[in-house]
Amino acid sequence: MELVLNLDKIQSDNISQYAQTILDNQNPYKNFKIENYKYAQLHKDITSKNQLKEIDSSELLKISKNISSLISNPVDLVSDLNIWKFNNDDSFFRVSSLLKRETRSINLDRIEDKNLFLDISQINENICFSKSSTNETNLIILNNQSNDEYPKSFFFDINKNSKLNVIHFNISNYKSFLYFESNLQDNAYLNFVSFQSDNIHTRNEFYASLNQECNFDLFGLNINNHGVNDNYSFIQHIKPSSSSREIFKSIVEKGATTNFQGKIYVDSIAQKTDGYQMSRSLLLDDISRANNKPELEIYADDVKCSHGSTVSKLDDEQIYYFNSRGIDTEIAKKILKKAFIVEIIESIQDDQLKEYSNLLIESLLS
Amino acid sequence: MLEIKDLHVSIEDKKIIKGLNLSINKGEVHALMGPNGSGKSTLSYVLSGKDKYEIEDGKIEYNGKNLLDLDVDERANEGLFLAFQYPMEIPGVQTSFFLKTAINSKRKYLGQSEMDALEFAKLMKSKAEELNISTDMLKRDLNVNYSGGEKKKQEILQMSMLSPKMAILDETDSGLDIDALRIVSEGVNKLRNKENSFLVITHYQRLLNYIKPDFVHIIADGKIVKSGDYSLALELEEKGYEEISQSA
Repeated sequence: MELVLNLDKIQSDNISQYAQTILDNQNPYKNFKIENYKYAQLHKDITSKNQLKEIDSSELLKISKNISSLISNPVDLVSDLNIWKFNNDDSFFRVSSLLKRETRSINLDRIEDKNLFLDISQINENICFSKSSTNETNLIILNNQSNDEYPKSFFFDINKNSKLNVIHFNISNYKSFLYFESNLQDNAYLNFVSFQSDNIHTRNEFYASLNQECNFDLFGLNINNHGVNDNYSFIQHIKPSSSSREIFKSIVEKGATTNFQGKIYVDSIAQKTDGYQMSRSLLLDDISRANNKPELEIYADDVKCSHGSTVSKLDDEQIYYFNSRGIDTEIAKKILKKAFIVEIIESIQDDQLKEYSNLLIESLLS
Repeated sequence: MLEIKDLHVSIEDKKIIKGLNLSINKGEVHALMGPNGSGKSTLSYVLSGKDKYEIEDGKIEYNGKNLLDLDVDERANEGLFLAFQYPMEIPGVQTSFFLKTAINSKRKYLGQSEMDALEFAKLMKSKAEELNISTDMLKRDLNVNYSGGEKKKQEILQMSMLSPKMAILDETDSGLDIDALRIVSEGVNKLRNKENSFLVITHYQRLLNYIKPDFVHIIADGKIVKSGDYSLALELEEKGYEEISQSA
């Protein structure tokens, strides 16, 4: 991405006025009617009596390399506002995190290991990742036991012809508000999988900008959370022939609320765009809520874009079929829940990481 | 094995079964034939224990137990098996995993240890081969994108792996071509022995050419109106339900 602004000069720069406007007028902590934040309930202090799990990262470090030593000194940068096509709907998370926090960078080309690990709950700064090599790289970012009401940002700068897989374990957080911005240059590839479970109040924003012939897959999984857990995505196709595929699944129960809002934007020059978005929720009781809001904004005429959204409960006829083969209802429900989400786990390409994720998810399914 | 006495069943206040009596002994194969809406499928669901059916009166004894006291999964683990007319599709659940879970549920119920993976794989392979089911199909999601015939074969595979004492086949012949009908029937015939019993529900006499029943019953308007041996099925084919029901 182009780097346009020195944070020290923010008061005197044009964009600082822009930022000030965002902070004043689009602050979802003060105003719960901001459209893109309206389900997130940031104006409320959401709590829960649940004791949250601590994830032992030693298992992950057996199959991946910790890259915390690659973090740079603070850099003078914020993301380039000019690349974004939203109108007056800028991310409050991005703007506020860049004002509030320092930003550091990690150059992923500096390490040869295939599986990389970073515990982002231990880091107070925003991080900008960059990747230019064509090596297959799996980046694991763990967010566990966070309790931070200020948004934090992560930027993924995927250069031409480069490939990156990101696995985001967002597990057992009290408060966590994260912004993920991906900028894919021509022919770049990014596969982003976000596992979210055992959280009380979270929001994750996924912004992606796609240039020519690049490919972005975003998979989200939301199970056994408490409180309010919110996901927002904005995927823009700004050059021809790129494809994006986005699948979010949630299993909501025990009074929790899970939200998904997502927009695919296709610029008028982005012909031959292939966009797909699906959000599905399994609602297991009457006291829980699932809000799904898909949106398409298309200005090109030769594109393939589809979206869908479902909220359903477990199928009694399917449970009866299991029972009729001697399988009790409790086991049948567990198998059907797993069946609902297995597609997300299967989207992980590395076998070791898939196996780890599978075991973790099994343990987190209630 | 199975003793149904004066059974009355309704669903949403509509009476479907109106005083049905049926007795099936060990080692016997009974065919139940009848027109649409006569209560055939309702009887099969009631036997398997599906909810939403109101048992207004009557008794069902199964192997010395009151069947109506048992949950659906308990009935299955006690050896009762219903091969469905319309088997459920279960996306996301591999067929072989489903089979393994079913087998181990039964073993757990009977106080046995889980079947080891190799033994299970061998059993599944040999049973699948008998039914001309490819190993590829066992890796697919259960019944998802199966043809009608494949779904019915899958039901028979489940039956042969669970080796039930009392199997109910609900219109297993519907939607089968001649070859599939022969394979499915052979699968059923292989399971027949002195210890288990079958209730074969069908519209057509054709299936009974392959699975020869010891007894044939005709059901009309919720009760059995005529019983006989295999020749009753032939008579039915000739005269039709209406004439037979009226003469009864």
